Amino acid sequence: MNASNASQSWVVVADDPAVTGLVEVARTVADEVVAVVVGARPVADTVAAGVDRVVWLGEPGAVPLEAFAPQVAELVAAARPVAVVGAATPAGRALLGAVAARTQAPVLGGVRTVSVADGRVVVTHAVMGGIAERTVALEGGPAVLAVEAGAVPAGGATAPVAEVAGAPLDAATVTQVRPKVRAGVDLGAASVVVGVGRGLKAEADLGLIRGLAAAVHGEVACSRPLAEGVEWLPKESYIGISGQHVAPDLYVAVAISGQLQHMVGVRDAKVIVAVNNDKNAPVFGQCDYGVVGDLYQVVPALTAALGGSDD
Amino acid sequence: MDFTLTDEQELLLSSLDELLERECPESYIADLDLHHESATSFRKALHEAGFMSLGFPEEYGGMPCDAVTLVLLAERVCRQGLNNGFGLELLQAMDILEFGSEAQKQEILGLLANGRVPFALGFTEPGAGSDNSAMTTSAVHHDGLVTFNGTNTLITAALQSKYLLVMAKNPDTDDPRKAISMYLVPMDAPGVTTNRLEKILWYTQDSCEIFLDDVTLPEEECLVGVKGNGFKQLMRNFEMERLVIAATCLGQAQCAFDDAAAYAAQRVQFGQPIGNFQLTQLKLTDMAIKLENMRNFVYKTAWMLDRGLPLKSQGALCKRYCAMSGFEVADDALQIFGGVGVTVGARVSRLWRDLRGHRFGGGTDEIMVHIAGRQIVKDHS
Amino acid sequence: MKIVVAYKWAPNPQDLEVRADGTVDEARGKPAVSEYDPVAFELARRLADETGGEVVGLTVGAAAIDTPLARKAALSRGLDRLVLVADDALAGADSTRLAAVLAAAVRAIGGVDLVLAGDSSVDVAEGQVPLTAAAQLGWLGLGRVTAVTPAAEGLSVERDTPAGVAVLAVRTPVVLAATADAVVPRVAGMKDILAAAKKPVEVLALAALDVPAPAVTLATLGTAKPSGGDRRAVLFDGSDPASAASQLVGALRSAGVL
Repeated sequence: MNASNASQSWVVVADDPAVTGLVEVARTVADEVVAVVVGARPVADTVAAGVDRVVWLGEPGAVPLEAFAPQVAELVAAARPVAVVGAATPAGRALLGAVAARTQAPVLGGVRTVSVADGRVVVTHAVMGGIAERTVALEGGPAVLAVEAGAVPAGGATAPVAEVAGAPLDAATVTQVRPKVRAGVDLGAASVVVGVGRGLKAEADLGLIRGLAAAVHGEVACSRPLAEGVEWLPKESYIGISGQHVAPDLYVAVAISGQLQHMVGVRDAKVIVAVNNDKNAPVFGQCDYGVVGDLYQVVPALTAALGGSDD
Repeated sequence: MDFTLTDEQELLLSSLDELLERECPESYIADLDLHHESATSFRKALHEAGFMSLGFPEEYGGMPCDAVTLVLLAERVCRQGLNNGFGLELLQAMDILEFGSEAQKQEILGLLANGRVPFALGFTEPGAGSDNSAMTTSAVHHDGLVTFNGTNTLITAALQSKYLLVMAKNPDTDDPRKAISMYLVPMDAPGVTTNRLEKILWYTQDSCEIFLDDVTLPEEECLVGVKGNGFKQLMRNFEMERLVIAATCLGQAQCAFDDAAAYAAQRVQFGQPIGNFQLTQLKLTDMAIKLENMRNFVYKTAWMLDRGLPLKSQGALCKRYCAMSGFEVADDALQIFGGVGVTVGARVSRLWRDLRGHRFGGGTDEIMVHIAGRQIVKDHS
Repeated sequence: MKIVVAYKWAPNPQDLEVRADGTVDEARGKPAVSEYDPVAFELARRLADETGGEVVGLTVGAAAIDTPLARKAALSRGLDRLVLVADDALAGADSTRLAAVLAAAVRAIGGVDLVLAGDSSVDVAEGQVPLTAAAQLGWLGLGRVTAVTPAAEGLSVERDTPAGVAVLAVRTPVVLAATADAVVPRVAGMKDILAAAKKPVEVLALAALDVPAPAVTLATLGTAKPSGGDRRAVLFDGSDPASAASQLVGALRSAGVL
C-alpha cells in the first residue's frame, strides 16, 4: 500500500490565479500546500501568495496548457501528496485528469466537505448531477478533487517559486487567439443576481429583467437555453451544472422552472426568490420566497416596489 | 396482442420530435395560419431528414415503410397542431413514382426536396364532388398532343403547387372505366386560369377554382401512366390516403384534448379548478374515450393494410369515425376553454376549424356511409 | 482518418427518484444518447465525409447499456460501426475507471486518429472523462472545442478560452471534447434509422482489455439527499402583482438581503 505524504497537498493551477478555494480545501487535509502552475510567470507569482511552495513549468509560449498535463501528473505523483486539488473548470480538469490517470484515482467533483478521519481523507460530494450526495473515504492514493476555484489570493508573504523546465507533449501549437466580442460579467462577485429562463417570450423582454436587476443592484444571468440555445445572453451568463456556480446573497429566478441542472448553480445562494406562472414548477420547492404569477406583470411591479423603472 | 412500438418506430418518432421542436413550434404554425401561408420550411426540414422519402423505392432515395409507421408519424406531426402536416404529399408522390415517366419522377422528387407540394389534386368539379363519375373535364388526344377543357373547384394547394394532377375523360370512349386518364398539367401552362376561394379553415393550404381553356401539351409530358387507366391508378393508394386523413384527425384532436385538459386543471372559477366540476369531467372522459377509439381504429386499419388483409369497408368506417369524433373532441375542447378559446393565442379554435373540414374533405361522412352501408348489406346477404 | 466518437448511454437524472436516504432509484429513468453527445457525432461525420474516413461509435458501461434499441440509437447517428464494452463490473464506475476502459478500447480498435466527445454527460455533467481518457492514452486532450477541420499536418482546431477563441494546429492522434453549441447536429435521419439494424456491432469483453487496475479505493460511508435544500418556500399570489411585490420586498428587507 502506498504511503502518502501525509503532510502535503498539491494544488494544480491552469493559468488562472484564482486559487483561494483550492488552497482552502488543500489546507483542510495537510499542513503544507504546494502549487504546480502551468501558465505565465505572473500567475505563479500571484499563486505564491497563498501557498507554501510553487513549482512553475515556465512560459508556455504557443503550447496549450493541456500539453503540460502529463508533466504535472508526474510531478504530483512523485510527491505522493494526500490530496490533489484543482479547479472544476475545463482547464483544471485537464490537469486533474492527467493526475487521475497517472495515479489511477477517481476525480471527485461537487465537493461539499473534506476532512481527515482515521488517516483517510473523507469527502462529501454531489453525485449524479446533484440529485444526491455521498460521503466516501479514500484509500490507496491521493484524493483528487475538483472544486470551485475561489478568488485571487491577496498579496502578502509569498512562497518561493521554483522554475522547472517545461516538458509538454509535442502535439499542438496555438496559432491565433481571436479576442471575445462580448465581455462577460463577473457573476461570482455579485451579491445579487437575477436569472431569467425559458419563460421569457422574446429577447426584447430582457429589458424588463435588466430593469429589475438595476433596481436590486444586481447582475443578469440566465439558464442554459437562453445562452446556448437562442443566444440572448453570453455564455458566461449562464448558471448551471456546467456553467457558472454563484453564491450571492440574493438570487431571483424569473421564468425558470427549477430543473436541477440550473438550480445546482445557485444552491449556495443565501436567499432564493422565484417568479413563475406555474404553481407546480419545481423551483417553488427550492426557494425561500416565491411569487406565482405572470412575470410580465410581477417583474414591473417588483421593480416599481424597489424604487426602480423598466428599461 | 403486442402494442409496443418497434425500436425503429421509437427512434423515428424521437427524431421527429426533435425536428418538430426545432422547425415547427406553435408560434410557427400560428404565424402560417394568420398569414395563410404554407409550411414550406418545415417540409424542407422533413425532407432533409429523409422523412419525405418514406416508402419510396430505394432507387429514389427512399426506404420501404409500413402503414403503421406512416400513420404514427402523421399522427405525431398533426398532434403538434399542424393540419395535414404529413403523409398526403408522400402518397401522392408515390403515385407518380409508380406510374410516371422518368422525367415526371425527377420533377416530383425535385419539388419535394425543396419543401414544395409537388402537385394539387384536380378532381372536384362544380358538378362533380362526391359524385365524381359526373366529371366532365375532357382530354382530347391528337397528333401527339392533348387538349384539356374543363373546370375544377375547391382544389387544395393548387396556387402553391407547380402542377395539377388532372383526371380527364376521353370524349370518344363510352365505357367510363376506360375513359379516364391521369395527367400532370403545369399550373402555368397557357390556358390555365385560377380564381382563389377564401375559406374559413385550412389556411395553410389555399383553395381555388381552376379553368382549363384549350390547354394543350405534348402527350409524353403530361400523360401519367397508361391512357385509360386513370381511375385504377388513382385508386392505388386511396385506402392509405383515407388512413392518413384519419391519423391527421386523431393527432389534432389529441392536441385539442391536451390543451383543454391542461386548461381545466388550472383555470379557477368558484374557488377551484373547473376540472373539479362533473360536467367538465364528463366532457374530458368522453373525449378520452373517443381518442382511444380513434387510435385503435387507425392502428388496426393500418395493421390490416400491412398484412394485405382485405379492407372492404374498414377504411371508410375509420375515416368517418375519426373525422366526426375528432371534431366532437375539438368542439368539447373549445367549450371547456370558453371565451378564451376564441381569442388570438389559443390554438383550440384553429384546431376546431381545421378538424371540421375533414368531415367532407377526402370523402364526406355521408359517402363513407354509402360505401360501408352497401358493403355491410352485401356481406350479410 | 479513423474517428472514434465516445458517447454515453444514460438516463437524465431529472427523471430519477432520490429516496429519503439519498440512494437513487433508477427504475423510471429511460436511458438515451447523452444530451450533448450528438454534437460529437455530427462533427465526426462531417470530418469523415471530408477526409474519406470512418466513424466508429464507442460506449462503455454496465451490461444494460447493450440493448437493440441502444445500439440502433447510436448507429442511426452517422456511425459506420459501433463498439461496446458492457459489463456489470462497470456499474457505477467513476470517471477514471470509465476513461481507462475507453482508452483500452480505443487501443483495441487500433489506428485511431481522433477521439471526439461531447461537452459533458447528461447524468454526471462534469466533462472529466474525455480529458482523463486522453491521459490514459498518453495523448493530448483538448476541451471546449468549437470547430475542427482537416489540415496539412493533422487538424486545425478552434476552442473557447477565457481570452477568446484560440486556433490550434494539432497533430493526431488527439482527444477533442466539443462544446454543446459547436454545431447544430442534424436529427437522426430516416435512412440512418431504418438502416441501423444492419450496421456492424462489436462487443469487446472487459476481461480481454488491457485496463490498469484502480489504485485508490472508495468506501461509501453514507448517502443523503442534497443538503442546503431546506428552503422555506413562502409563496405570494401574483394575481395582484402590486400587492405581491410589496409583500415580497417587505420580507426580503426583514431578511436583510435588501
